[in-house]
Amino acid sequence: MKKKMRLFKYDNVGWLFVLPAVIYMLVFEGYSIFSNIILSLQNVNVRNLVQGEKEFVLFDNYIQLFQDEVFKISVVNTFIFTVACLIFQFIIGFALALFFNKNFSFAKPIRGLLMMPWMIPMTITALIFKFIFATDVGILNYFLKVLGIISENIEWLTNPKTAMTAVIITNIWIGIPFNTILISTGLTTIPEELYESASIDGANSVHKFFKITVPLMRSTIESILILGFIYTFKVYDLVYVMTSGGPVNSTHLMSTYSYKLSFEKFQYSMGSAVANVLLVILLLVGIAYLRITMKGEEE
Amino acid sequence: MGSEKKITGSKNIVLCIISVFLLVVLLFPLIWMFITSLKNEAEIFVNPPTFYPHVINTKSYAAQVETGDFNMFQSFANSFIIASGSMVIAVVLAVPASYAIAKYRFAGRGAVLLGFLVTQMLPVSVLLTPMFIMFKRMNVYNTWWAAILADATIGIPFSVLILKNYFASIPKELEEAAYIDGCGRFGAFIRVLVPVAKSGVVVCAIFSFLYAWGDLAYGMTFILDQPKRPITAGIFNFMGQYGTKWSYLSAFAIVSIIPVAIIFIFMQKYIIAGMTNGAVKG
Repeated sequence: MKKKMRLFKYDNVGWLFVLPAVIYMLVFEGYSIFSNIILSLQNVNVRNLVQGEKEFVLFDNYIQLFQDEVFKISVVNTFIFTVACLIFQFIIGFALALFFNKNFSFAKPIRGLLMMPWMIPMTITALIFKFIFATDVGILNYFLKVLGIISENIEWLTNPKTAMTAVIITNIWIGIPFNTILISTGLTTIPEELYESASIDGANSVHKFFKITVPLMRSTIESILILGFIYTFKVYDLVYVMTSGGPVNSTHLMSTYSYKLSFEKFQYSMGSAVANVLLVILLLVGIAYLRITMKGEEE
Repeated sequence: MGSEKKITGSKNIVLCIISVFLLVVLLFPLIWMFITSLKNEAEIFVNPPTFYPHVINTKSYAAQVETGDFNMFQSFANSFIIASGSMVIAVVLAVPASYAIAKYRFAGRGAVLLGFLVTQMLPVSVLLTPMFIMFKRMNVYNTWWAAILADATIGIPFSVLILKNYFASIPKELEEAAYIDGCGRFGAFIRVLVPVAKSGVVVCAIFSFLYAWGDLAYGMTFILDQPKRPITAGIFNFMGQYGTKWSYLSAFAIVSIIPVAIIFIFMQKYIIAGMTNGAVKG
């Protein structure tokens, strides 16, 4: 108690240390969020972007947006993309975490190497998978043919029916390490004795998994899924490089559509409006994450 | 799940073999890219594909690849400058900020913390146009500075949130001992606390660097001239012009992964620490 009082006395000195970072973030991000809201309420194009009169149109952009077919597609796509990625990367990540939690000689070093995909620039991952999914030269079609699964090459990225699947598979590949490592960390916090006593009571490994592992991992699982949602929902570079939203808008996400409107069609206000819709959804999900994190903070 | 007992004997060997198999399957895209980068253009298009380069071709890597307006070495250097610059900004700003959040109970601390958490969730789409306008007005548009300043905004919140845990774990006695020895508040911070939290600082530096290294959106939007652009934007541009030049593209991919791989091999424990501490706490 005494020591707490002592720190309390120096109270606001903390601001001196935190201020430079806070100012930096306010200038570049705080201002940008504010400015982006204003932009979305104006009519801004190439001529009046940096200088000149910007006419206020209030919610016209949003109204126009909600009548825009491509925007609707992009919203649906963003959810499909996010949910599909979350489910598969979580399941695969969990399986890998369980496997590498066994104490065999290669467990640690190989689990470490498996983290690589998470750190590679998304642009490069997109390039690599573009090659793998290529229709004629792509190795995936070759494997599928050898295994007798297909007889004709699939036009993965140029067919609107399969492009989204290809993009999702790529993002799952990126997300697996993230899930594996966080679940592994969670698993190590479960005391070994619990499993031992369960074994004595005759529980098999399926029982142990659902009665011990899953319940004790609940908060870890929640955090991983929410955080995974946030990361996945705003993915941009990967899809932009792989397909640029095509073919025929079939892979447009809100992020790529926003970019296209702003920097290809120069409809900056419309692009900003899309970005704000994306942001609102992220913040709604983010509140759940903040609750968990800030609760841990108060302890 | 048996994390306590070491598995030995034949079971160990079987698990090791399975794990190597899993490694090869999961990292196959990277391995395949590397193999491809050593083939010549004709061999890449051979059907059925060859699983090792029958004729080793290193030309795709060699000297000044100046196809189109993309110069790999220049782009690599640009990326290096941009990533280093934003790493320096992120670390210099985040270290004191995280120390304050961990060690002081100042008014508005909760709000500041919340602010950093929220900025981590922001999509680039929200920031691109406002930053674009801002950088034009600041006259840094189309320079390395635009990308450096923008990329640092990714590294700062991440670093603050990570480092705060490191500072919080330093016992109060250590700081108090520094005061008794005559250090001021700032002296104690620089001479005692930062050195103790060194491994945390390394994690932040690595991640700030890698985030900036991997950035495409900022580099592509805020820098117009190809000779100043980072390697990601250069490669993307090249893909647009020569989408099927896989011999070059695979070599570019491998080259731009090199820094990541080097950091990864030598500093793996920091990367794992960053991935786990940065995301979920306890």
